[in-house]
Amino acid sequence: MLARVAEELFWMSRYVERAVSVARLIDVTLHLELDDGDPEDAASLWAPLLRPALGGGLSRFGGWGGQGGAASAPLAPITAAALEDGGVLTLRSAPAAGDVRYDLAFNEENPSSMASLVRRARAAARGVRECISSEMWEQLNTLYLSLVNPRVAAEAEEDPHGFHKRVREGAQFFHGLADCTLAHDEAWHFITLGKYLERAGSVARVLNLETHLLMPGGGPRGADEIVRWLAVLRSCGSAEAYARYYSLRVEPARVVEFLLLNPVFPQSVRFSLNAAWEALVGIAERGTFIRGGARGADPAVRALGLLRARLEHAAVDEVLEEGLDHYLSDVQGRIEVVAERVTHSYLRHEAQTGRVVGIARAAMIMAGQQQQQQQQQ
Amino acid sequence: MTSVQAQDGPRPADVAAPVYDPDGFWDEMFAAPGAVRAHYAPLARQLATLSADEVARRQRAAELSFQSRGITFAVNQGPDGVEKIMPFDLVPRLLRADEWQHIERGLEQRIRALNLFLYDIYHGQRILGSGLIPPDLVLGARGYRREFRGVDVPLNVYTHIVGSDLVRDASGRFFVLEDNLRTPSGVSYVVENRRVLKRVWPQIFREYEVRPVEGYPQDLLDVLRAVAPPGAEEPTVVLLTPGIYNSAYFEHAFLAKAMGVEMVQGSDLFVDDGQVYMRTTHGRQRVDVIYRRVDDDFLDPLAFRPDSFLGVPGLVAAYRMGRASLANAIGTGVADDKAIYAYVPEIIHYYLGEEPILPNVPTYVPTRPDDLRYVLEHLEELVVKSVNESGGYGMLIGPHASQAHRAEYRARLLADPRGYIAQPTLALSRHPCWVEDHFEGRHVDLRPFVLFGREVRVTPGGLTRVALRRGSLVVNSSQGGGGKDTWVLAGGADSPTDSPMEK
Repeated sequence: MLARVAEELFWMSRYVERAVSVARLIDVTLHLELDDGDPEDAASLWAPLLRPALGGGLSRFGGWGGQGGAASAPLAPITAAALEDGGVLTLRSAPAAGDVRYDLAFNEENPSSMASLVRRARAAARGVRECISSEMWEQLNTLYLSLVNPRVAAEAEEDPHGFHKRVREGAQFFHGLADCTLAHDEAWHFITLGKYLERAGSVARVLNLETHLLMPGGGPRGADEIVRWLAVLRSCGSAEAYARYYSLRVEPARVVEFLLLNPVFPQSVRFSLNAAWEALVGIAERGTFIRGGARGADPAVRALGLLRARLEHAAVDEVLEEGLDHYLSDVQGRIEVVAERVTHSYLRHEAQTGRVVGIARAAMIMAGQQQQQQQQQ
Repeated sequence: MTSVQAQDGPRPADVAAPVYDPDGFWDEMFAAPGAVRAHYAPLARQLATLSADEVARRQRAAELSFQSRGITFAVNQGPDGVEKIMPFDLVPRLLRADEWQHIERGLEQRIRALNLFLYDIYHGQRILGSGLIPPDLVLGARGYRREFRGVDVPLNVYTHIVGSDLVRDASGRFFVLEDNLRTPSGVSYVVENRRVLKRVWPQIFREYEVRPVEGYPQDLLDVLRAVAPPGAEEPTVVLLTPGIYNSAYFEHAFLAKAMGVEMVQGSDLFVDDGQVYMRTTHGRQRVDVIYRRVDDDFLDPLAFRPDSFLGVPGLVAAYRMGRASLANAIGTGVADDKAIYAYVPEIIHYYLGEEPILPNVPTYVPTRPDDLRYVLEHLEELVVKSVNESGGYGMLIGPHASQAHRAEYRARLLADPRGYIAQPTLALSRHPCWVEDHFEGRHVDLRPFVLFGREVRVTPGGLTRVALRRGSLVVNSSQGGGGKDTWVLAGGADSPTDSPMEK
């Protein structure tokens, strides 16, 4: 398939998945705020979700940037420097919770707001309409139209839970349609690869931002700590499944284990990376990499295979011993490498350019033909 | 709809109600006030069963369907452009089998003659020596590409896809208003209008036998394959689009998807050693036929406009060498130049020795001194059009124009007589359209689509465009025009020649 189309599909899928994460995060933070009850604390709950432009905060959803192009403009990345500069603590003044919610949901100037993400996903989809099903396009278009409706912000404040549920389900429905209306061929593989790489990255990011809770004195203790970890599970859409596995004994190490290493739950990092790997192999097998002999010849497949193996054989105690933040940063960095290599191997081949020599020769042939004609006349 | 009307209960939306008056125009549906034409009678009966609220509801359902499916066109091109839906009128426009047969024959004749003309002016130029058409007019036309003289195209077909605009005058006779021989658009609406009408008003289809339009994409693909370079066994066909900001982008995606071909942008293609390739996830893939929805000027920055980002460097060289086919061919613009349009009846005579089946609208060509004098003296009666513009831009409608506007065109005509033509203001036919809460007559035209590969094929249907503003004669979507589903009725027992068995 066309490299440009594959790139648009990959990013379209990532943006939609990212919108699901943002919707969950806003919703969960809202619940925390209501549980807390103290308006003084509200700002400290919302502040970490801020992007830098709103006063020195730190975008939780910066993540790894895009590769350029209309649909894949880079997002504001989370950098170590931003963290060292004090991150959330350097807020000049606490913004109102409503402003933060608006910024994350509707602010078109925030590239990581749900509205921006869905708009960019739709722009990407529009560029590849002939390659996705009409159902997918209509679903994404409807979701987009619902987010740019002038009344929607007021409705979201009125019924925030209902609103975030609709956005989340709208985006999930889109991925569901991709699964059941598209042939599971190369286009679908790129969509699936984008979705799961994004999800693995999102879950790792959410976990990474909560690692301070594991530090001595790093967070609330007792009942509040449980509430906080439940919120972490919810923001990854994993609270119910966790309860089934661990009878709702909320222990930090178990939460980390579940979100990071569970092999069968589709919101875990490990599951997501396995699914991404299947998709990537599906892509690579169509090409020369397999035919050429070793599967490992494709650098993207190799990078993802190594990362999978790292999670496959990990134990949570060792991860915590190594330092969760260190481990997660490593995972996030490796996901980034996989995305770069996918781009390099499939989306932006360097070898695919017309040689100037060829063009020059064509021009000479043209000139020759013209001369012949003139002689004939 | 006001609440007062709602309280009155359902009112019949019967178009035959005395309020509807053809006002002396040719009305597609009514022969006289209250007198429905025979082929419209079942439609009128169905309409009479609907209340005004029901008509309005279906109308809204249709518009919502266009909106959610993203069947839109861009009004201002560029990232800030607004996506709009083309307003859709619920009541279909009906064409009888015999009317259609006439149109079909007329268009086939015209397209064959125009292709012989294009072949001639890019080869021996016989017609220019015949004195029928001034050589300057042809060779000086903006659309004439002298550098393609002597270049052969597959099957000697230049215009593979044509969308001609037909109008009807007050006597009901069809005329060709213009030929669109470059990259005509609108065919997606032919198919989508039908789909939407089936969805929102299925009952009406039980009353008629309507010829299907769904076959267009398959026919188009057949034509594109037929003109592949000799030797391409399983030709790879692509559709080249300028991208998502183009006003017809929806149509490009629609056609690529329906044909199952890749929709490419200039940056997806490259030329290596005279061969065109597309960049895929697994390396280069050869491209044989390009259905390009990009104008000549933007095809190749090496050959035409060097500032074009839409094109492919080296594409024109590959085309000249016969390694890749373009549909439509380069240089067809000369034949839909509005000044050359005036000579199409002569062109038909010259190449086919036949009388034109579909007449031209009488046209004054100001390069002829007598015509220029007449035009200047009768500006308040005439429509003046720029020869190279389309989409309803660059025109003066004399009877509706201000004194200042007319004075401006007078000056333009004197400065550049080659740049304009003039035609009498036609009393375009009208059709009942739903306006707020009742039916009113609105002027319409008809754009059928003609495909030409090994044979000429006219898709049975077309885009009926509606000038939505009361009294307006401008039907272009960029100027606030809307659309109607257009039905070609299958021939009954009384017109056996139209049955497919006979063909």
